[in-house]
Amino acid sequence: MAADTEIFFEHSHLGKPLAWSTGLHLGFWGFVLLLGLVLHGNRGAGWGAGGGGDAIGVALVSSVPLPANPTQTQNVLANESKGLTLSRPELQQVEPEAIPIPGKNAKVKPKPVTSASKQKTQPQPEPETNEVPFGGGGPVSGPYGTFNAAGAKGGFGFTGGGGDFGSRYAWYVRVVQQKVSENWLKYEVDPRIQNANRVYVTFDINRAGQPTNVRVEQSSGVPSLDQSALRALQRIDTFGPLPSDYSGGKVSVEFWFDYKRGG
Amino acid sequence: MTDRNLVYNLYRITIKTLADPFQADTTLPRPKLQGWAGALVCCLAGLALALFGTRAQAQDWIRTGTGLGVEKIKLAVPDFKPSTQDAKNAELLKTFDDTLFNDLDNAGIFDMVSKSFYPLEVPGNPSEVRFDAWSNPPVNASMLAFGDLGVSGGNVTVHGWLFDLKNTQSPQVLGKQYNDTATTDNARIIAHRFADEIIFRLGGGINGIAESKIYFVSDRSGHKEIWVMDYDGANQHQLTHIGSISLSPRISPDGSRLAFSSVTKTNWDIRMFSTELNRMVSFPAYPGTNLSPSWSPDGTKLALSSSRAGDPNIYVCDASGAGLHRLTTGKGPDVSPTWNRKTGAQIAFVSGRTGLPQIYTMEADGTNLQRITDQGYAVSPSWSPNGQFLTFAWFRKYGPGAPGANDIYLMDIASKQWVQLTHDGGRNDFPSWSPDGRHIVFQSSRTGSEQIWTMLADGTKVQQLTFSGRNSQPNWSWK
Repeated sequence: MAADTEIFFEHSHLGKPLAWSTGLHLGFWGFVLLLGLVLHGNRGAGWGAGGGGDAIGVALVSSVPLPANPTQTQNVLANESKGLTLSRPELQQVEPEAIPIPGKNAKVKPKPVTSASKQKTQPQPEPETNEVPFGGGGPVSGPYGTFNAAGAKGGFGFTGGGGDFGSRYAWYVRVVQQKVSENWLKYEVDPRIQNANRVYVTFDINRAGQPTNVRVEQSSGVPSLDQSALRALQRIDTFGPLPSDYSGGKVSVEFWFDYKRGG
Repeated sequence: MTDRNLVYNLYRITIKTLADPFQADTTLPRPKLQGWAGALVCCLAGLALALFGTRAQAQDWIRTGTGLGVEKIKLAVPDFKPSTQDAKNAELLKTFDDTLFNDLDNAGIFDMVSKSFYPLEVPGNPSEVRFDAWSNPPVNASMLAFGDLGVSGGNVTVHGWLFDLKNTQSPQVLGKQYNDTATTDNARIIAHRFADEIIFRLGGGINGIAESKIYFVSDRSGHKEIWVMDYDGANQHQLTHIGSISLSPRISPDGSRLAFSSVTKTNWDIRMFSTELNRMVSFPAYPGTNLSPSWSPDGTKLALSSSRAGDPNIYVCDASGAGLHRLTTGKGPDVSPTWNRKTGAQIAFVSGRTGLPQIYTMEADGTNLQRITDQGYAVSPSWSPNGQFLTFAWFRKYGPGAPGANDIYLMDIASKQWVQLTHDGGRNDFPSWSPDGRHIVFQSSRTGSEQIWTMLADGTKVQQLTFSGRNSQPNWSWK
């Protein structure tokens, strides 16, 4: 009986310190978490959000006046080769197996002949991980013209004064297309936008090749997308003078921009 | 059919008459058009018909697919034909053909068809062009530049044409005639001019750079002096003969004056050289160390780094050296200012105020200071002609044993995103933009000694321009 009371006594004696201990531990860790939040909560929210640290995944759109790398690659290092370190693997021709001539007393009938075309081709060798896959090399694809990459694209129509501008001067139409696409910076569009209606921008090109009278013909409903389309045109000083043997004084262009994020 | 093939076919179907826009719509493949969008296009086309149809009956409506502009133009440039029987023809033709092909190849906007694919019969004038021979495999060209060259009576005459091979109805894009005294130098200049014309037309109104110059520092004469060469490395010659050390040449936007810094008996001073007079012209000597001048895009101001008040800081003065005033304050050296070449409203510079040098930008009056590199060792900023990019030399991981090296980087100012342009080769430093914004000249020690190299602004087509002595700090002229 006496032992029981002793145990009971000791147990009740520990209760208070245990409660204190738990409380203090909780308080301490709560304080540490709070301190971390207060002191370092906004670390890294400053400048350089685009490429800081070790992030390599660059997806710039830019206006370096160079034609874009047609194959969109993920490399940030410029590379002269088109990624031919691994040539496209050739299909292996499998010889059909020889058909055994049945013996005179053979009781087993020969198996039906399987033609070579029905045979399964061998699985292709896997590329080594450190090799640039076929077509994956080339110049840095980061800043150069991702006009129709990631789902976004644009198109345009021309209304010339003389009637047949587009057929006679297809090369000039091409220049306009290239310049507008180079100067459209998709990062100007609100990053929360996933899909948007098509925005139509119309403008005139005067004889000196300058875009004038730029206006949104039909809004997409997304102000930042409309703005980015307008800015693409405003950024362009000139498309180059209109062809010298073209009789009209200006060319009207309708250009549309389709925006879709992430393909 | 892949997307690119589709796009290419779309490109070939360039014209749809407005007389029948709906039919035009149905003949066009529309893989990505939503139903409502197609309806909208039809409505708009109909609207356009209603609006313009009354004004001009024969108006055309062009619709093309997307992403056409990303393909480089396939250009064939056969050797020019001799148009006379003169003995000097062969020599001039060789110079002309080589220069023209190299200029167009260097432009960065063409996919040059190798000469080995060309038909045996090359045209010398428009009546000799066989369209199918040039636009079909193996040549597959979409554009053809051709012509003839002839020497008679000590004068050389060059006719050059540029044809759009996909357009057999009215193929001529360009037709030019050049006339000059018959020397190889003139043949080079004529080839440069014709190449620039082609680049101007097909490159969207951006002037070619075939006649631009590159100024640089070379120790070939025994001292570090300022030298100049053509953009392709030809015609290298010495400009200054000071006999001390001259660094950081910067040509003025109009090309008439060259500012650089040079050691005098007492200190580093900004010096001025007139390329028109071909001699030094006066510029005030400030106290302290004065380095790295930089011209504003209108040519009326110079930004420079001066230690006249203690630490090196960025100052701005007039082109004559008058009206010097200070833009930056604070501890740590501020050097290498460079103006926003499009607007002239901002200056980027290198500052060591936080330890290792980093790139900063500020307004041209010294306000709104922003740091744009976050780590490492970043120097030598150069602002692109369109104002949107900075290129600079950067050790991203700086310190003993750190991986990587000194390489050229390109940063988009607005988004702060960057790409690395050089890699795997020595120390690369002092990038400078070409006037067309497509090329960058820089200094590299990848061959063992410091030499001048160029590349396209996407890091490809790296070419060495200088080979003898040690050459550094290139600066590309403004036009």
